[in-house]
Parts: sequence; structure tokens; C-alpha cells
Amino acid sequence: MTQQENLECLRKQALEDIGRAESLAELDVVETRYLGRKGEVTQLLRTIGSLPPEERRSFGQRVNQIKEELAAVIQNRRNELSVVEISTKLQKEALDVTLPGRFFQVGRPHVLVETLKRIKDIFIGLGYEIVESPEIELYKYNFAALNYPEEHPALDEQMSFYITDDCLLRTQTTAFQHRVMEKRKPPIRVCTMGKCYRVDAVDATHSHTFHQVDCFTVDHGITMADLKGTLHQFAVEMFGRDVQVRFRPDFFPFVEPGAEVAVTCTICDGKGCGVCKGTGWLELAGAGMIHPRVLETVGIDPEEYTGFAFGFGVDRIPMIKYSIDDLRLFLENDLRFLRQL
Amino acid sequence: MRVSVNWLREYVDFDCSPDELAQKLTMVGLEVEESRLITAEEFAALGGSGEQDDIVWDTKVTPNRGDLLSVLGTAREVGAVVGRAARVPSSEVVQSGPKASQLINIRIDAPDLCRRYAGVVIRGVSVGPSPGWLRDRIIAAGMRPINNVVDVTNYVMFELGQPLHAFDYRLLRGPQIIVRRARTGEALTTIDGEKRDLDSDMLVIADAERPVALAGIMGGADTEITDRTVDILIESANFDPVGIRRTSKRLGLTTESSYRFERGVDPGVTDLAAWRAAQLIKQIAGGDVAQGIVDVYPSPVSPVVLTVRPQRVNAVLGTSIEPEVMVQILCSLGIETVFEDDILRCKVPTFRSDLCREIDLIEEIGRLYGYDKLPQTLPCRSLQGKDSREGAFTERVRRILISCACQEVLTHSLVDSRYASLVGKENEVVRVRNPLSEDLDSLRTSLAVNLLQVIARNQARGMESVSVFEIGKVFRRVSGDICETRSIAGAMVGNLWRSNWSLPSDALAADFFWCKGLVESLMDGLCIGGVAFERTRNPLLHPTRAAKVLAGGQEIGFLGEVAPEAIEFFDIKGRPCVFELDFEALMRNAPDAVSYKPLPKYPAVHRHLAVVVKESATYKEVRDVVVKSGGGILEEVCLLDVYKGPQIPPECRSLTLELVFRSSDRTLTDEEVNAVVEHIRSSLSDSLGAAFR
Ligand SMILES: [Zn+2]
Repeated sequence: MTQQENLECLRKQALEDIGRAESLAELDVVETRYLGRKGEVTQLLRTIGSLPPEERRSFGQRVNQIKEELAAVIQNRRNELSVVEISTKLQKEALDVTLPGRFFQVGRPHVLVETLKRIKDIFIGLGYEIVESPEIELYKYNFAALNYPEEHPALDEQMSFYITDDCLLRTQTTAFQHRVMEKRKPPIRVCTMGKCYRVDAVDATHSHTFHQVDCFTVDHGITMADLKGTLHQFAVEMFGRDVQVRFRPDFFPFVEPGAEVAVTCTICDGKGCGVCKGTGWLELAGAGMIHPRVLETVGIDPEEYTGFAFGFGVDRIPMIKYSIDDLRLFLENDLRFLRQL
Repeated sequence: MRVSVNWLREYVDFDCSPDELAQKLTMVGLEVEESRLITAEEFAALGGSGEQDDIVWDTKVTPNRGDLLSVLGTAREVGAVVGRAARVPSSEVVQSGPKASQLINIRIDAPDLCRRYAGVVIRGVSVGPSPGWLRDRIIAAGMRPINNVVDVTNYVMFELGQPLHAFDYRLLRGPQIIVRRARTGEALTTIDGEKRDLDSDMLVIADAERPVALAGIMGGADTEITDRTVDILIESANFDPVGIRRTSKRLGLTTESSYRFERGVDPGVTDLAAWRAAQLIKQIAGGDVAQGIVDVYPSPVSPVVLTVRPQRVNAVLGTSIEPEVMVQILCSLGIETVFEDDILRCKVPTFRSDLCREIDLIEEIGRLYGYDKLPQTLPCRSLQGKDSREGAFTERVRRILISCACQEVLTHSLVDSRYASLVGKENEVVRVRNPLSEDLDSLRTSLAVNLLQVIARNQARGMESVSVFEIGKVFRRVSGDICETRSIAGAMVGNLWRSNWSLPSDALAADFFWCKGLVESLMDGLCIGGVAFERTRNPLLHPTRAAKVLAGGQEIGFLGEVAPEAIEFFDIKGRPCVFELDFEALMRNAPDAVSYKPLPKYPAVHRHLAVVVKESATYKEVRDVVVKSGGGILEEVCLLDVYKGPQIPPECRSLTLELVFRSSDRTLTDEEVNAVVEHIRSSLSDSLGAAFR
């Protein structure tokens, strides 16, 4: 066989071998065999010296042609094989995607704290400054400064836990009013919130500990209409645009005129249900215009300034929102309960 | 107060249905809480006539409105609502025989506790069952009929709001009535059969020799009306609310009578009520009413005249009500009002002792005008609202701890005082004087203990793994003063992955280092630098797995594994860890604002260093030496591994550190990093005798 014939033979053989290579590794072997530094095609090129001078040029050209061709075919084959190989590898890595993941039990806010936060944000939006207030309170601030006469039946609803003769656990966040007014001069617009305590046995709707929010404002020209508008605005933001607010006269020693504020029952939309005892209304807050005597005791002239105040229990709000029928769940901290909200 | 609608109709006319009327009363502040039908049959079953049905309301009377504790008072309120005047019942009665003042002598020795005392005498009555109509009224009011005399006294109390008492006149010694304070050692057996020891703060009605009634609360058994009673003395008096309340509380005895006196009884109705009772007793029990009344009334109360400025009414209510409308409203309430010189002059009847100043009448105008008719506005001045510093900081802490997979909880501040002993604060505990029960006898000194209780409770309900935190107040008594401060605590036990089939079972155990990591993450989240942890002793914690937390060199809290005693106290499974930090200290150390540091421009060089040191050398000591020898280019030290084993000498351990070097102004060369690493190595050898692997 001539060198040319050898060359063509080798090309044919190489193409067959490339086609037969079933893996990238085999293909690498084939590539080295033919195109490596000591490969057969390369070797053939080295024999060029044994050819007659006039054939050398065309032989050389042909070898290079074949080299390029083989290189291209190998690259094609490599591409094909890579696709196959990657997919085979991935096939082997199959997971049972239905096995459970490494579930991370996320932390959640406590529903009551979150409710307080929501309320706080609403009042900040209405221009109230949040102030902190103590839970152990002086009798003076909790009752006397709020115009409670000594030995009055109004005290019956507020049986207190006493710490000393003068100190008790506050029965209402309203106790902060006098503290604030001692330090600030009008215009005042403040809000406080937190735990309150009354001597009350624990059952589904009562507890010795509950949470309240109290707000009050003192300024020139504050009216009862302002109180209505403020509580309406709060109710809309808290319960939604469709809520209706009802004001009814009520008595609290520290306000005059006094009011009880109710909102339409969100559970039955005001039609009447067990939670609202068929009335369609849920009591929300006690409210009123700050009693002139309360202002006088801190040296604010009630002729010059008027103010309104309101306070409400917070625990009822998530009870209404999530149809919770037992108050105790909030402070029992059963994770199965807390994680639902 | 229970109000019979049939009875109400005797004093006021109304066209609307009882339900509509109830709704109207509710909207002016006299809430009708419940309205129920009592059928004629039910009346019969309760000892009534069984002649007619009735509707009975439960009205909720606020403590300032004692006048509404009567059917007449309720009728007056109805009258104001429907625009018709209420009718006061007649109390005319034919009198005969001797004058009452000849039959009984009445003296008030304690005028501070008794404003007025009146008595009428009726002789020759026949005590027996009451007629059907009277029994029905008594039943509707929620009491049991007893006999015609007692039933009349109760009837008049419900009708006019004036509590009365009937004595068996012949059993009164003297015959005399003295209203005085009880003497030390005196006792009285009341009509309920209880013998009651009296003290000198209590007001009694005495005859010439002994107490015969607990003033305004309950009569004595010795002089009560019986079947054999023939002559009676009707007492109608006005007692001081505070005195009655004190005695009632002291004795734990509340009656329809004391309930009314505590809320204030009209001193103007005393004589009327006595005559009304006499009239009814004569009508149904016969007898002769002695002439006149013995009425001891040292300082008569007259109606108060108040002035109201119409423009002030509108300024407070935010309305523009015409003065004429105000006059009309006040008159409908029985307050005689005239409008002259731009001022309302109002004569307040004695039954409305709650109306003392202008603002009280403004409320009357407002509530009858209708709160629902008041406009709705917002205060004119616009002010910028803001959170308190503590509130804002609380939110930051909450957000970080929640993002660290902690569930927020809220626990009671009232706890068992034994909890304080668990944290060694039994001497600082703040106790409640009148606890509901022994396990609620104090205020919490620590949140961590409460969280252990949360763990225990959840474990008892089948949840083995718990990770919770709370931010709240704790209370301590420090050298006599009561301190109320905020605290932040966390507690954890079990494993933090819910499903861990693909991990070693302890891969994320809620152990000491999880707990410490949580505190470190919190500090990092709050940008608090210079935090250190040192071994400590704390009664709540494991003696060798407890650390105090320091920030800025000051102790701000603790963390660690819980001591076996506390685990046993709460019956907890596993080995819980807790941390507790002082809120205020944390807040002081947390910068309000941090400024941005530019990102590094040059690459970091990482080197590993396996340091073999004696076990007695703490990681902190090793790290401090490394950091000190870092040559100004050591950016970070990470602990990759702690190893003890065959290749390591006994009582030693190997700490594999990753050192990260970086310069802010150039790319570091191998040579300079090598030099620093070499320096670190020699420093470790010199100061801690470290070897290297
Ligand atoms: Zn409802």
C-alpha cells in the first residue's frame, strides 16, 4: 500500500473508532491514538521525508486536512457523549423528593403582643406618643387622682392586689394619666399599654391579669366629637371599613360626659350571635371627656383646656378576630395554639 | 336592678313597646341588660297571684346613679326619654289617736353617719299574707313575699328607692330609738339568725337598752315583725354611704338596703316613703296610723342651683345645640331650668345628688340629645406620633429573636414565690398582700423561670422540643424600694429541627452552644460590640455550664444549662438551656445608629492553624493571643474544629483556627502573611505553651 492509501485507510479506521467510542474516556483514548503527539496521524506526517519530493506537499496537506476533520468529528462526538454522560450522572442522583425537608420551625410573634403592636402603630399614626407606665402603681394614681371617691361602689369593679398600703398592681392603664399630666403641659396626646390586674378568678372570659390600652389628649378646643372621630378612625383601621361604632352614656369617675363604645360584632356582622349575646355589638372601650376635677388637680385650667380619654381591653380583640373562646389560651403558651396565629 | 314593666306603667305612660323603650333607655345610659317575660303561671308557682304576665328588666345602674335603683327613678328616666312626666304616688293616709311623738322618742347621736331619721307608728295591725298584687310586685323585684308589713317596706323600697325597716313597736324598750355607734363588745343577732360582733365604727339603731338593728343594712331578730306583732314602728332614714359601705364590707353582708345606701338615697324622700308605707299598711293590714311623724333632720338638704353656659355645652360636646333645646332636655329630667342672660339656671332636685357642677349637666344634655347625634371630627392640631424608646427597642429585639426561630410567649407576672428561690432571689421577691392563691403570691423576679414552666407545660402536652422567648417586666425589692425593670429571656430544649431524618440526631440540639449562639446573634443584630462571656455561678444554672454575659465590661445577664434542681422542680425532660438579659442594659449598649463601612477592595488570605494547648487554657485565651499578634492585618478568627484524641497529648486539645488576613490598602503577599502567622505561632507557644499540628 502506498502512503496515501495508508493515510485514507487510517482516516477510515479513525472515524470508525470515534464512532465506536461510548464514553468520554474512550474518546480520549481514540483522540490520543490518532491525534496525540505520538498518534498515528502525527506519525504519518513524520514519514513525509520518505516520499518523493513532488508528493510531499499534497500528502502533507491531506494529513492536515484529515487531522482537522478528525478533531472536528471528535469534538462533535465529545459534545454528544457529554450530554449523555451528564444526564446519566444526574439520573443516578435521583432523590425521593417526597421525603420531608429539614423543616425549620420559624419563630412567631405572640398574638397578643402583635395586637398591641398593631394598636400602637394606629395611634402613632393618629399623632399619639407612646409612653411607658409602671405596673406597680400608687393608689393615688390608680384611683384618687382619677376622681374615685374613697369607699365608693365604683371601686367594686376594680378589686386590687395590694403590695403595700399605698402600692397596688394597677387595675387600669388609666393610672398613667396623672403621671403624664404632672410632667407635661398641653398640648398632650399620649398612649400607654400593658398588663393590668384585678382580683378576679380565672375562667374562660376572666383573668386576674389582662391587657389594656389607654389614650388621652388635652388641648385647646378638644370636643366629644373629636373623641367620637378618633375612636371611629381607630375602629376602621383595626376592624375594617365596614365597622360601625356606637357611643352610649356610661360612668367612669375620671370622665364627664362618659361613654361606652361598642363596635359592630365582626363575627356575625351585627346580626347577633353568641359572642355578642345576640346584640350585634361588642363593647370595645370606656371613654369620655376628662373630668374638670382631674385637670384641676394637676393645675390645668379646664376653662382653657379640654381633653378626652379612652381605654380598652386588648385581649378581646384577637378573641374576636380569631374566634377564640377561651382567654386562658393567651397566657398558657401552648405552642400548638401560638403557632396557628 | 329588676324592674317590672307593669309596675313601671303605674308612674309613667309610654306608647312604644317595652323592647323599644329598653333600647331607648340603653342609649341614654340606663342599660337594660336583659328583658324576660314572667308568665302568670310562673308568678303563681313563686307564690304570686297568677293573674297576669309581666316583663322584667335587668337594668345596669352605674354607681353614680343611686336614684335609678327604684321604679319611680326608672320612670323618671323613661319620662325624660318619651317626653312625659312621671307621677309620684300619693302618700296620703288618715291619721288618728295619739301623736307619734308621744309614742316614740328618736335621737341621732351620730349625725355624721345619719342625716335624717323619721318614724311613723301604726297600731293594731293584722300581720298576715300580702294580697296578690303586692306579692306579684315583690316576686317581680326578685324577693320572696314574707308578710304584709315586711312586704310593704320592701315594696316602698323598690318603688321609691328608700330602704325602710319595720320594728315590732311593743318590743322596743323605752320606747326609744337612738341612732348611735355600737359600743365595744356589743353584739346583735340579725334577722338572718347570724350573731354579729359590732365595733365602734358601726352604726346601729338602738332602743333604750340595746342595738335593735344594724343601721341601713339589716334589722335585729329580737324586734322583727312576727305573726304576733300588733303595733309597729316604720323607720325611714338616710344613712351615710361611706359608713354603710365600711360596715357592709367589714361584716361581708350586702343587702338590697345597704346596696342602695352605698349609692346614695335621696334625703328628700325620707318622710314621703314613711307615709307611703303607712298608707299601704293601713290599707292591707289595717290598724290606726298615729298622728304625725317623728322626723329628726338636723340639717335639711335643699336643691342645688347650678348655672350652665350654653356655649360651654357646645364647646365640650362639639355641637351647636340651641339653648331652648337644652332647657327642654333639663326640664324633662325634673331639673327646673330657665334661660336668661345667656345662662341656664338649673335647680337640681335632691334625688340627683350626682349633679354637682356644670359639666354634670353638660353630660345630661349630651346623653339625652343623643351621643349618636354628636358629629365626628378629629382634633384640629396635627401632632407627630412616636413610639417610646423602650417600645422601639423591644421591636428590634423581637424581630431578631423571632428570626432566630424562637416563639414569642407571654407569661403571667403573678407567680409562685418559690420561683424566686430557684434564681436565688428569695430575699428580693415582691409579695402580694392579698393573693388569689398560694401559687400566685408574688411577682416574678425572672422571666427565665417562667419560660421553664412554659417548656414543662408543653412537654406535658407532647411537645418535646421548645424554643421560646419573652420580653417583659420583672419585679424586685432592693433595699426597701420596689424595682420594676424589663427583661429579655429565652429558653430551649430538645432539637430545633422538626424533621431530622437526614441529620445526626444531635446536629441541632438546643444545647448550651445553641443558647449562646442565640445571645451572640442577638448582640450582632443589635450591633453591640465588646461582648464577652465568663464562667459564673447562678442558682438556676448548671454549676459548670453557666456563663455571665458582659457588654462594655458590665454584666448584663446570664446563660447556660439549667440546674438539675430546677429541672426537677418543673419536671422537664432533657437538658434545657436559658438566657436572661437586662433590657435597659442591653438598650444602653446598643447604638441607635451605625455608619456604613466600605466593602473591602483587596482580597483576603485564609490560613488554617491547628493549635494544641492544655485543656485548662480557654478558647478565649487562645483567641486573645492570636488577635493581639495579628499584626494589623488579621481580620477574622474562626474556630473550625475542637479535637481530642489519640494524636493529641493527654489533657490537651487541638483547636483548628481559620485565620483571615486582609489589608485595606493593598493585596497581601504570602511572605507578609507567613511572617504574621509565624509571629502568632511563637506568641501562642510563649504564652500558652502551644504546639502545632
Ligand atoms: Zn355577633
